[in-house]
Amino acid sequence: MRTITLQDYKRRLLRVLVHIQQHLDDALGLHELAGLACFSPYHFHRIFKGMVGESVKEHIRRLRLERAASRLKLSTAPVTDIAFDAGYGSHEAFTRSFRAVFGASPTQFRSSTKSRITTTARSGLHYRAGKPVSDFKATQPGGKSMKVKIESKEPLRVAFMRHVGPYDEVGATWDKLLPRLGKEGLLGGDVLILGICHDDPEVTPPEKIRYDACVTVDESFVPEGEIGVQVIPGGEYAVTTHFGPYQKLGDTYTRLLGQWLPRSGRELRSTPCFEVYFNDPQSTEPEDLLTDIYAPLQTKPRT
Amino acid sequence: MKSQPKLDLYKLHKAEYVATRKPVLVELKPASYLAVSGQGAPGGDLFTASIGALYGMAFTIKMTRKFAGLQDYAVCKLEGLWWSESAANFAKLPKDQWLWKLLIRTPDFIKDDDLRQSVAVLLKRGKGEDVKRVRLESLAEGRCVQMLHVGPYEKEGETVAVMKAFAEKQQLGFAGKHHEIYLSDPCRVPPERLKTIVRQPVRPS
Repeated sequence: MRTITLQDYKRRLLRVLVHIQQHLDDALGLHELAGLACFSPYHFHRIFKGMVGESVKEHIRRLRLERAASRLKLSTAPVTDIAFDAGYGSHEAFTRSFRAVFGASPTQFRSSTKSRITTTARSGLHYRAGKPVSDFKATQPGGKSMKVKIESKEPLRVAFMRHVGPYDEVGATWDKLLPRLGKEGLLGGDVLILGICHDDPEVTPPEKIRYDACVTVDESFVPEGEIGVQVIPGGEYAVTTHFGPYQKLGDTYTRLLGQWLPRSGRELRSTPCFEVYFNDPQSTEPEDLLTDIYAPLQTKPRT
Repeated sequence: MKSQPKLDLYKLHKAEYVATRKPVLVELKPASYLAVSGQGAPGGDLFTASIGALYGMAFTIKMTRKFAGLQDYAVCKLEGLWWSESAANFAKLPKDQWLWKLLIRTPDFIKDDDLRQSVAVLLKRGKGEDVKRVRLESLAEGRCVQMLHVGPYEKEGETVAVMKAFAEKQQLGFAGKHHEIYLSDPCRVPPERLKTIVRQPVRPS
């Protein structure tokens, strides 16, 4: 087995990109797209966004608008039909989105002679009728290089409470979990406070996001009521530190999975990432918060 | 992990936590702390175990109250007093002779009963005997010179020298224990970026 390269990652994403272009009008499911690229559904969206520079949803929306622009120029179809084909329910919504991207209303755009049909995209990916996409520019890691270390972890036994709902409301779940464990003395000693995000807030509707608030416990702890026990699998993890507010964790996930990973020679396991919190957000300014992000790696192939 | 702060003693007593790169005079009213004392180098076994015990107690007490629906509060940052028996300047002695008291500021409504209850549950959980060494103490430092130190702890002498000159200019002399308030976590923040409030009680010389 050889080491996976950036080219391999690109090749796998290209399968998805071609599929998207050929099925611009279909509802494209997460598992279907992830499966095409042989990526775990846990990680696919972050890899996609990190490499392509926009989320799957943003990518599809942009290509549909480009297709609409080309139809405005090359056909005589009524604007309402074109809007509908681009996935918009109303003329107004279409006009708003179209203007935001092309700087003109669909009607102005159609009558103008110098309007550009394509949008700007660093990936170089655009809508081309009947021409399957064959290459794209993977986002270069910009700014300060990301510090990532590979850590081998023992399995972690955790007490947890599941939160289902918007990511920025997980505090309420912590407010229930920590007092219950705390009064039992379970926050003493070297415990880790960590979170497992099963869904990507970028793609899962807020009310459906599953997040587990976890505290490490020993064998003596038994699940009780809303508090369950699970074991986070051991093995190798890529670890990086996120500096600053929790609201910006998504950016660091995207850089780790979409920019560092494809150049690392490694692949992810099909288990969720988790994050370890180092501060008490009640007494720490958001910009001083430190969070370690753990991404599960497959065993390195022997070379 | 987003949560609204309920009672934050540092914010409530903002004037006592001034952190500027120039020395200032501050007036400290009596304040309540969870405290654990010891001797030896920072980072040594006793020191590390004491920090663990102090935090374990702080969070157990807080969460027990919170679970009971009593007033919630933020657990404050770690602080430390440093001195020695034999020398005016402890920093000049070998580190194994350093005496210290680690502190976490705590609301006045926390009483000895809260400590007793938390010690009992932590012992039952097998979280180590060191929790028995944690006490509730009041500190009345009064008038102090205070200044923010940015950088490794080893270079704190430079900050203390600036504070001393500032005090002497106003006919004040150092009196009482060298006090540090750790705004950064030394395990996670590189030494050159560590922020520490240095506080030194003074009195007319």
